Amino acid sequence: MIVRAALCPSPPLLAAGVTGQEVPLPELRDACAAAISWLLATDFDTVAVIGPATVTATWPPGSVPDLSMHAPAVYAGPSVLPLSLAIGAQLLDAAGYPGPRTLQSVAESASPDACLNLGRDLAAAAPRVALLVMGDGSARRSAAAPGYLDDRAEPFDLAVEQAFRDGDLSALTALDPHLARDLLAAGRPAWQALAGALSPAPRSEGLYSAAPFGVAYLVATLVPAA
Amino acid sequence: MSDVAAAGSGPWPTRAPGTLRLGGREFPPERTLVMAIVNRTPDSFYLPGLTWDSGVALERVHAIVAEGADLLDIGGVPAKPGPEVTVAEEIRRVVPFIERVRAAYPELVISVDTWRHEPARAACEAGADLLNDTWSAWDPKVADVAAEFGVGLVCSHVGAALPRTRPHRAAFGDVAADVLDRVLLLAGRALRAGVEPDRIIIDPAHDFGKNSWHSLEVTRRLGDLTATGWPVLMSASRKDFVGETLGVGVDDRLAGTLATTAVGAWLGARIFRAHDVPQTRQALDMVESIKGTRPPSRTIRGLA
Repeated sequence: MIVRAALCPSPPLLAAGVTGQEVPLPELRDACAAAISWLLATDFDTVAVIGPATVTATWPPGSVPDLSMHAPAVYAGPSVLPLSLAIGAQLLDAAGYPGPRTLQSVAESASPDACLNLGRDLAAAAPRVALLVMGDGSARRSAAAPGYLDDRAEPFDLAVEQAFRDGDLSALTALDPHLARDLLAAGRPAWQALAGALSPAPRSEGLYSAAPFGVAYLVATLVPAA
Repeated sequence: MSDVAAAGSGPWPTRAPGTLRLGGREFPPERTLVMAIVNRTPDSFYLPGLTWDSGVALERVHAIVAEGADLLDIGGVPAKPGPEVTVAEEIRRVVPFIERVRAAYPELVISVDTWRHEPARAACEAGADLLNDTWSAWDPKVADVAAEFGVGLVCSHVGAALPRTRPHRAAFGDVAADVLDRVLLLAGRALRAGVEPDRIIIDPAHDFGKNSWHSLEVTRRLGDLTATGWPVLMSASRKDFVGETLGVGVDDRLAGTLATTAVGAWLGARIFRAHDVPQTRQALDMVESIKGTRPPSRTIRGLA
């Protein structure tokens, strides 16, 4: 079962060295670090990281989190992990966590039911699983955003945030994959896997919620209801 | 120095690319440096008299240091022909000013642009760190002064030209090879004179004793110079070969200068003598980042 869960976004800019000399968004980085250290500050058997990718797959747990596909001058390659898992693995590494980990991707196209089932399987993989969920909100939050402004993006992200705040797993489960895809909200399948893993409704604490570059980033910690 | 072969071990002194030492500073090979020009003359070719007044010149130093100059190159005699500047006059123009700059900036690398050993010696006594011997060891005692004071030395190429002359029908069988021969010959002489190996710099000296075809050729084949391992100084700022190449006057040579700078940096030159400090620094930063030796300032595009 899940003992604790943490939610972090997975933009490339969170990876070491990718932003050049400046290291922007210190608040986001601090929030992620705080979420990870909280996640690891409990007894668990394994850490599972789940994040969206083109395919649903389990990845070699010792894979180097290489970002050479995004920053070829900074990383030597080869890049093995999908972005979301590479960022998750870097966050674990940065927290000094050397122990066992499961790296699980969930397909961007996975149906809500498939996501829920994957989450349940992850939760059942060990008696005590610490779960790190990599998921970003919409990349259409402003005219300067990567996907340009879509007026539906902010309400969508606010609804997601509210669902996490309330521990409302049914609201996460009900997120429309087509709308999420339209809004470039990459986190949808990972959030729905979390909903499957965490049932019943968790308690949560939000650590960060903003869209500083037009992409919504959400950091939160969650514990299953007693 | 373990990375420098003894002079005489081959036809040319060789050097593994390594640290360049100037004054108390050490510069790694991947770092490009801007050498900012400060002319203590009334009649230099670009913005004549700009820093003739010593108060204005010191203000200029404050500005270019703030703009990112790594070295100053202080000169008291124009390269072009003109009214004689005696040794005493050159010293009067340059030395008190070096003392003022040194007092204001104890760590700043100060180069003096001179070809005569008397001003060179006086400049070293005033705190200069590098002798920019632009006229290719016309006075061999300049190297002795560099050795005596433990300062750096620029070994340059001027072909057959004498100090303060314009090229007249300059001709070379292979100008790039001639440059290589000359600057390495002088580097060997400097070593034998006792100049510290990691304080020796080589400079093809664009325009000096060369026509514009020669300067373009030397630029094209700058890799032959950088491949020697000796740090290469490139002094092309707003020079006539830029003007003749582009058909523009001295006030309109910045773009051509920066293009030349970029090519030189790409081919491995390490020091760039410049009138336009912030523009040169930007061009060099861009080249370093393309090379991969300098992280960009801030990369967000496509990464959020």
